[in-house]
Amino acid sequence: MGRSIKKGPYVDDKLSRLVENGAGKNQPIKTWARRSTIPPDFIGRSFAVHNGRQHIKVFVTEDMVGHKLGEFSATRHFRGHTNKKEGKKPGK
Amino acid sequence: MPRVIGVDIPNHKRLEISLTYIFGVGLSTSHKICDVLKLDRGLKASDLTEEQITNLATHIQKNYPVEGALRRVIAGNISRLRDIGCYRGMRHRRGLPARGQRTRTNARSRKGPKKTVAGKKSVKGMK
Repeated sequence: MGRSIKKGPYVDDKLSRLVENGAGKNQPIKTWARRSTIPPDFIGRSFAVHNGRQHIKVFVTEDMVGHKLGEFSATRHFRGHTNKKEGKKPGK
Repeated sequence: MPRVIGVDIPNHKRLEISLTYIFGVGLSTSHKICDVLKLDRGLKASDLTEEQITNLATHIQKNYPVEGALRRVIAGNISRLRDIGCYRGMRHRRGLPARGQRTRTNARSRKGPKKTVAGKKSVKGMK
C-alpha cells in the first residue's frame, strides 16, 4: 500500500538540507537514509547510499524521481549457486 | 463480424463482453464505454449499425490507450525501470518477480519451466 497523499512524500530532512546548501555536486553525499524519496531537486547530485556494508554511489537522474534512494543500492548480491565440480565460488 | 480497432472482431456475445476482447479494455472500461455512448450492454455485436461501430472505434481510440499503443506504454515503463538501475529494474532484467514474492518455491511464471538440479534435496526432505 502506498503512503497517504495527505502526508506527502517522505524526504530525509538532513539530505534536503544538504542538497539545498549545494552538497553532492562534486563529492557524493554519504547517507544511510535509504527510505528517503528522491524529490526533483536531487537531480544531478550524487549520493553514496549505504547497503548495510558499504556506500554505493548513486547519481540521480530525472527518471529516478519518486523512487527511494534504497532502490538503487542493492543489499543482496547473488553470485550464482555453487558448482559441485568447481567447489564454492570465492566470496566477495 | 464487425471490426473495432484493427484486428478485434468480437461477435455474437453481449456487447459489454465483446469489447473486452480488445487489449486494454476490461469489463469496467467496457461498461463505461457502453454508458457514455448510450448503447445497450446486452446488444449483440452483429446487430450494431455501421455508425455505432465507427462511434465506438473513435471513442475508444480517443479516450483509452489500447492494443499496440498500450503495449508500447507498458514496455516503456519496464525499460525505464531497467535503465535507472533500481531494484525492480534489476528483477525485470533477471526475469524474476519484481514485487517481493518468494522465489524459493513457485514464481514459475517468471522463471519458466523448472530446471532440476541433481542432488538437490526437495523441500519436503529439508526438514
